[in-house]
Amino acid sequence: MAIVAQSSKFGTYGRPVLAWAVGLLFFFPIFWMVLTSFKTDADAVKPEFLFFFTPTLENYLNMTENYDYWRFARNSVISAVSATVFTLFVSVPAAYAMAFNPSRATKDVLMWMLSTKMLPAAAVLYPMIFLAKGIGLYDTHILIITVLSLINLPIAIWMLFTYFKEIPKDIIEAGKMDGVNTWGEIKEILIPLAWGGIASTALLVFIFCWNEAYWTVRLTTIDAATLSKLIEGNRAPEGLFFGRLSAVSTAAVGPVVVLGWFCQKQLVQGLTFGAVK
Amino acid sequence: MSDRKLPRLLQTPAVLLLLVWMLIPLGITLYFSFIRYVLNSLRHPEWTSPSLSNWRGFGNYQFVLNSKDFLLAIQNSLFIVCSILFLTVILGVLIAVLINKSFPGQGIVRVLLISPFFVMPAVNAVLWINMILDPVLGLQGIAVGGINDILDGMRTMPVLGGFFSLWPEFEPISFRATQTSAIAVIMMVTWQWTPFAVLIFMTSLQSEDQQQKEAATLDGAGTWSQFRFLTLPHLGRPIAIVVMIQAIFHLSLYAEIEIVSRGNGNKNLPYLIGEFANNNIGAASATGIFAVILANIVAIFLLRMVGKTLME
Repeated sequence: MAIVAQSSKFGTYGRPVLAWAVGLLFFFPIFWMVLTSFKTDADAVKPEFLFFFTPTLENYLNMTENYDYWRFARNSVISAVSATVFTLFVSVPAAYAMAFNPSRATKDVLMWMLSTKMLPAAAVLYPMIFLAKGIGLYDTHILIITVLSLINLPIAIWMLFTYFKEIPKDIIEAGKMDGVNTWGEIKEILIPLAWGGIASTALLVFIFCWNEAYWTVRLTTIDAATLSKLIEGNRAPEGLFFGRLSAVSTAAVGPVVVLGWFCQKQLVQGLTFGAVK
Repeated sequence: MSDRKLPRLLQTPAVLLLLVWMLIPLGITLYFSFIRYVLNSLRHPEWTSPSLSNWRGFGNYQFVLNSKDFLLAIQNSLFIVCSILFLTVILGVLIAVLINKSFPGQGIVRVLLISPFFVMPAVNAVLWINMILDPVLGLQGIAVGGINDILDGMRTMPVLGGFFSLWPEFEPISFRATQTSAIAVIMMVTWQWTPFAVLIFMTSLQSEDQQQKEAATLDGAGTWSQFRFLTLPHLGRPIAIVVMIQAIFHLSLYAEIEIVSRGNGNKNLPYLIGEFANNNIGAASATGIFAVILANIVAIFLLRMVGKTLME
């Protein structure tokens, strides 16, 4: 009994305090970035204005002028949304086939797909630039969308596969007997049933696309350059522009962080990668 | 079309796309790694085009193996990846267990905790190295300056002043330097990926058998032994998955390393390739092939570990 009493004491006071402390600690860098974005560049580096300062919107108002933010943001939206749609379009049927009509090779195919993710991007960067320039696709949306889709395809298929596998086969079989064809099965039975898994896969792929910083930086110059490129290109040395850098960084991560907050429950349920039986 | 053929066919687009994506660039890399191919050369203009007449055999590989940075880069790659994996798994398990039981504000704490995972790596690195870790203007510099000011104040105290004046002034650490930049990279990536581990472990903990735990409590099992003998084994599979997914992402870490130090000292393998690729494409390609081999060695271990349980 003593143990129960002890643990409940920790449960009433210790756990909430510790949990809140950890949560605030992890959130602090983001809070700091947002706070700094409301300081002028001069105030941002002065210790006396650490927490108390006259807030200004100047950094946000000048974002277009200083960084041409909206053009990069537009490119990020175009490429991340299109790549997510394309990835799902290819991965849902593939995961469906693997989960409901597995063959002896299915496991190996799945593992091989994941192993393509381990191919170091740097190893094939130069050939990719060479090819992209050769066929005239360098610095285009099409190229970025294709690359983003391909690098996220294995993760998407895996996530969907582990999700679909938990759906009882009988339900799909029942659909078959009613004379529904394969496309019908996917559309009428699978997608409504697995909506949670598909949504969280879409969300994760979208986040990875939005945040991708290797290919998007190296396969673009201006026309298709995304927010990652904007940030990497403008990282201020010696902190001359902490204020405006914070503002543009906040604007770059804000949409995705807020999206993540809203879809948090969804993500918790879908993001198991087969870890939960 | 027959009942079995069509479903199988549905995976063909994915397989073909990935096959093309893997084989064509890899084939070109392999070819480049066997020829002399540089972007600029005054003495040998003929080397600036990727032609078969510049065949070099294993020369590029020898050149890479003899370069002093190569072993260092492999060591750094492994050091960074292993440290991040170790830290994120330990922290992830602890935090997941901590926030799994309900307490006031659980939802908000969860939202705060997972936020770093959504931050783009480029912003993560810029934020940490400038605004937090900078030895002069960042929070680190400001904090160290503040502590030194307090110390200075105490030195002027009547009696104890003599004691405090024996203390040294604190020096802020520059995280852009050779020895420390890897630490900065590990710190920022751990910050970003611990939430991912927490998410996966939390989901797994929710499926833990509560009756078993209650029974264990009634049998007098303490919190620690419950954690050790029930929770930890239950987390085996999610830990394997967290390790594997993170290994995939962190072996190719690049943006963070470039932004922190421009590769001063803590070059990892991808960064070294990038450096060679500024001019010597042949050497960059040979290093790339080494990186592929390293990734495959890691992959074989990890995929075995996860693959075993995946099809159950």
